[in-house]
Amino acid sequence: MLLKVENLTKRFGGLVAVSDISFAIEKGEIIGIFGPNGSGKTTLLSLLAGLLPPTAGRVFWKGRDIAGERPNVIASLGVIKTFQNPQLFSELSVFEHVMIASFLAFTRMKDHSRLRSFLSPAKGETTLRLRAEKALTLCRLQDTATKPAAELSYGEEKMLGVAMAMMCEPELLLLDEPASGLGNDEIQNLENVLRDLRAHGTTLCIIDHKVAFLAKFADQAIALQQGCKIAAGHPYDVLADPGVVKAYLGRSHHA
Amino acid sequence: MKTLLCLVPLYLLPLLVKSDVVLTILIFTFVLSILAVGFNIVFGGAGQLTMFHAAAFGIGSYVTFLSMLRFGISFWLGFLVAVAIVILISIVIGWICFKFRLKEFYFAVVTLAFAELCRLVALNWTSVTNGTLGMLVLEKPTVWLPGSGVVKIEQTGPWYFLTLVSLTGVLIFAVLLMRSWIGRNFSAIRLNEDLAQTLGIDTFRYKLLAFTISNVIAALAGALYGFYTGYIEPAYLAVTQSLDAIAMVLLGGVSTILGPVVGALVLTSLPHLIELPAEMRVAVYGMILILVILLMPRGIVGLFAGLLKGRVNAA
Repeated sequence: MLLKVENLTKRFGGLVAVSDISFAIEKGEIIGIFGPNGSGKTTLLSLLAGLLPPTAGRVFWKGRDIAGERPNVIASLGVIKTFQNPQLFSELSVFEHVMIASFLAFTRMKDHSRLRSFLSPAKGETTLRLRAEKALTLCRLQDTATKPAAELSYGEEKMLGVAMAMMCEPELLLLDEPASGLGNDEIQNLENVLRDLRAHGTTLCIIDHKVAFLAKFADQAIALQQGCKIAAGHPYDVLADPGVVKAYLGRSHHA
Repeated sequence: MKTLLCLVPLYLLPLLVKSDVVLTILIFTFVLSILAVGFNIVFGGAGQLTMFHAAAFGIGSYVTFLSMLRFGISFWLGFLVAVAIVILISIVIGWICFKFRLKEFYFAVVTLAFAELCRLVALNWTSVTNGTLGMLVLEKPTVWLPGSGVVKIEQTGPWYFLTLVSLTGVLIFAVLLMRSWIGRNFSAIRLNEDLAQTLGIDTFRYKLLAFTISNVIAALAGALYGFYTGYIEPAYLAVTQSLDAIAMVLLGGVSTILGPVVGALVLTSLPHLIELPAEMRVAVYGMILILVILLMPRGIVGLFAGLLKGRVNAA
């Protein structure tokens, strides 16, 4: 069991954004979380990544309770989150972005090479630079490497977020609506990147309201409505669930 | 690293210029540049608006001198004592500020309060610091030079080289630091702290590191300043001293390597270039500073870098 969530709850004043949710993720799995806007998807991911402290409940990562840990601690354990609205260091170049994101990989290097990379980054960080170029190529950003990130298109910004997450060597990657705002061509590219990540053994947790996009990938799906888990299981079963259909269409489905 | 070649002419300057006035202005420029470079690491690098650097500057001069006096040790050992104390104080103050997630003006106000606290200690602990009267520093730093053995730094010439070598050392360190992973993490914190954290960067630890490094560099500037002028007083720890360094960095160019040096040169030499009655002077410099910041938001170095880039792009 890679990740186990037990009775996770988040309240904002009187609003219960995430209510008593439990589920588990196995290694190598792709889990899709969907639900209408405001159903608590993003809040749930933020709780897992440590961006928000939970009101109640526990999150076990490989048996260790990580609920309420700081985000950098959770990230260093191998859980990385991307953002729905791209978060960037705008004035830096695309390449500098992926190099900043290589910090965790850097910390896993041996100490003597740390000193060397302080005196001469060009020599000490050769492997990281090569990996950064590979990540950019995979995300089709190789031609923008020297551009400031502020000059990227929305789709490129989102792919840069994925490239940065890849540089962190995540074991579990939490993707917050990775396909929203992307064109068909870009979605195709995103799917290729996600397949590549999966082939390398990365566990993925994707939230999206484009149900078709999720159903194609996921091994397991969870449907949320108003912060509650209303269905879970195989993606197509979940999609056929009467409760889910009602949540999406606002009435029961007779077809 | 190549930008530092700009310093080479300064090493040759004493061969051409014998004027004590010019060399003295440059010595003050070098020492205040060190303070400004330190401030630029924590502000231009990690984006934390500290107001504590003048206090670290003052502590640097007081502790170096007092430990020489009390323990009979050399200038450099005394400076090491000052470094140890500044590191300790920085960690305590930084820990308090960053644990409580103080940012921007809140961080500035709290560090200013701590700086004032240090100044009041220097002012009121008369048995040790001699209070408002300050202390005369008759001791001189010594350095070991190959060929001539241990040399006392007394004349303008040796002081010129001691301060210039110190500045060069600090600049080389700053360049190495800012282009390493540490500097990258600093920029990440300055530009988007939340994102930096989700990428696994321990922002608390790196902010503390930036704050401590800048204070240690300020302490070096303070030790040199106190021994060069031969006088140490509580005003070294005053807010005006902090503001001067900030003005130098803004004027020269935030987040640039040579910006603090250029800013220090302009603000140190300006009073000697324009002779004005004392009351007028402050007003005129204020005006110049306001105009420069309005017209060149990226400072003098930023402006020239922009012009050079524009020319390359046009060609």
